[in-house]
Amino acid sequence: MSASYTAPAPVPLVAPDTAPLSAAAAAHDDATFPLAIRAITKRWGNDQPPVLHELDLTLRERTMTWVGGRNGAGKTTMLRIAAGLIDPEGGTVRAWGITPRQSRARYQQLVSFLPAGDRGLYARLTVRKQLEFCARIALLPRARVRAAVEEALATFELTELADRRVDRLSMGQRQRLRIAMTFLPAPELVLLDEPLTSLDGQGAELLQSAIRELLARDGAVLWCSPSGEHLDMTFDRRWMLDAGRLLPA
Amino acid sequence: MSATVASAQAFLAVMRRDLHVYVSYRTRLVSQLLTSVFSLTLFYYVSRLVHLRGFASPASYFAFVVVGLALVSVMYSCFLIPEYIRQELVAGTFDRLVLSPFGPVRSVMAMTLFPLLLSFVLALVTLAIGCVLFGMHLHWVTVPLAVPAIGLALLAFLPFGLLFAALTVVIKQGNVGTSWVIALMALTGGVYFPITVLPQWLQVISRLQPFTPATSVLRHLLVDSPLAASFGPSLLKLAAFAAVLLPVSILLLAAAIRAGQRSGTIIEY
Repeated sequence: MSASYTAPAPVPLVAPDTAPLSAAAAAHDDATFPLAIRAITKRWGNDQPPVLHELDLTLRERTMTWVGGRNGAGKTTMLRIAAGLIDPEGGTVRAWGITPRQSRARYQQLVSFLPAGDRGLYARLTVRKQLEFCARIALLPRARVRAAVEEALATFELTELADRRVDRLSMGQRQRLRIAMTFLPAPELVLLDEPLTSLDGQGAELLQSAIRELLARDGAVLWCSPSGEHLDMTFDRRWMLDAGRLLPA
Repeated sequence: MSATVASAQAFLAVMRRDLHVYVSYRTRLVSQLLTSVFSLTLFYYVSRLVHLRGFASPASYFAFVVVGLALVSVMYSCFLIPEYIRQELVAGTFDRLVLSPFGPVRSVMAMTLFPLLLSFVLALVTLAIGCVLFGMHLHWVTVPLAVPAIGLALLAFLPFGLLFAALTVVIKQGNVGTSWVIALMALTGGVYFPITVLPQWLQVISRLQPFTPATSVLRHLLVDSPLAASFGPSLLKLAAFAAVLLPVSILLLAAAIRAGQRSGTIIEY
């Protein structure tokens, strides 16, 4: 099934290697970007070369950026750092100027991360209970929880599965639920790690529809997947992660 | 204000989640109730078989053990937290808690609510079985006071569960010596026999842990057993354990999670 995304309005892109600024000026400048990754370095083991080496990346509002690379190139590590799950050894990550350490809760309200794979679900909960739990720990206002859950069920066509336990879902249905959980709290930046895993064409369309809605309200998307994956998608910018750095793709 | 309400709702959501998971295993409650019945049956006949120094009658020893068993199940629930965290790590759901606005520390603390509540209910059921099936007599005048006393005991036990939870975050194993600690606390805390029968050096350990004053106070309130120590100091001891160790355990849990984020091992399982 073919599907393509077109950004609502053309927005100038920021190169990953932005000109050096003072720390204060850089922080002020970065406050306008959904995501500003500045010179992050991460290595797994002291005797290993860095998987990310002084990597820079800027995402502007209403843009969808793709980062590809070989298996083990560091895409997932970059996303985990951008999500605030793990720390880099050097460099900073900001979402609208906020770092995950400055204001953890606020950062997590702005940023939502879909990890690769099929983990992160409570097998014995129903789809609805899973989404309700997700809404609660996202600290959505009480009055908003029910509406957010119903909206997520409808958006990702999970209404018929709402009362089915997760361990009785197919892999594709689980992936749709995982994506629904990612979008449910209405984040402003979504980080997607191989989101098409197990999705059929209809699921991919639902994902694109959710992305369009996010971009329309000035959000941004960072999408990582292996370079060999077929992507019938239109991205505002494409990068390849190689030897710890981003190169135009 | 709304943030506080949302946080309270998140605490309850974690508890509801654990309740849903618990009831999804239909035989679990039946199994736990049968275990209580079998344990009490065993000790009922042991109390009639052996004459124990310091107990006026078989019934008084039976009541002594029933309260000890009820309390040990409450204590045990605190030590389940590391295993729950281990399950969350394996399922990949711990990442979600770390990345949620609610946050990992509050999530782990919320994870204690359902096991504690369940253990409290099971402790009540154990006492009820003791009364209904085995003719145990409760000292009804002071029974209501046992509820806040159990609450205080829980707060005194909880830090141990949180400390082991912090250890689980670091070393990724659920059973990190918790069974040893439970066994030691039960042995030296006087679940099955008065601590006065223990050698002196073990009695020192008895006095250094919260289980001993908790059993003493609760036995006094529930079945009118004589107190091993004065009532006030025993309660103060429990309060001191809670007041000192609870903040320390929460800080150590937060530190363990931050260390995992810094090193990147938070994603490992």
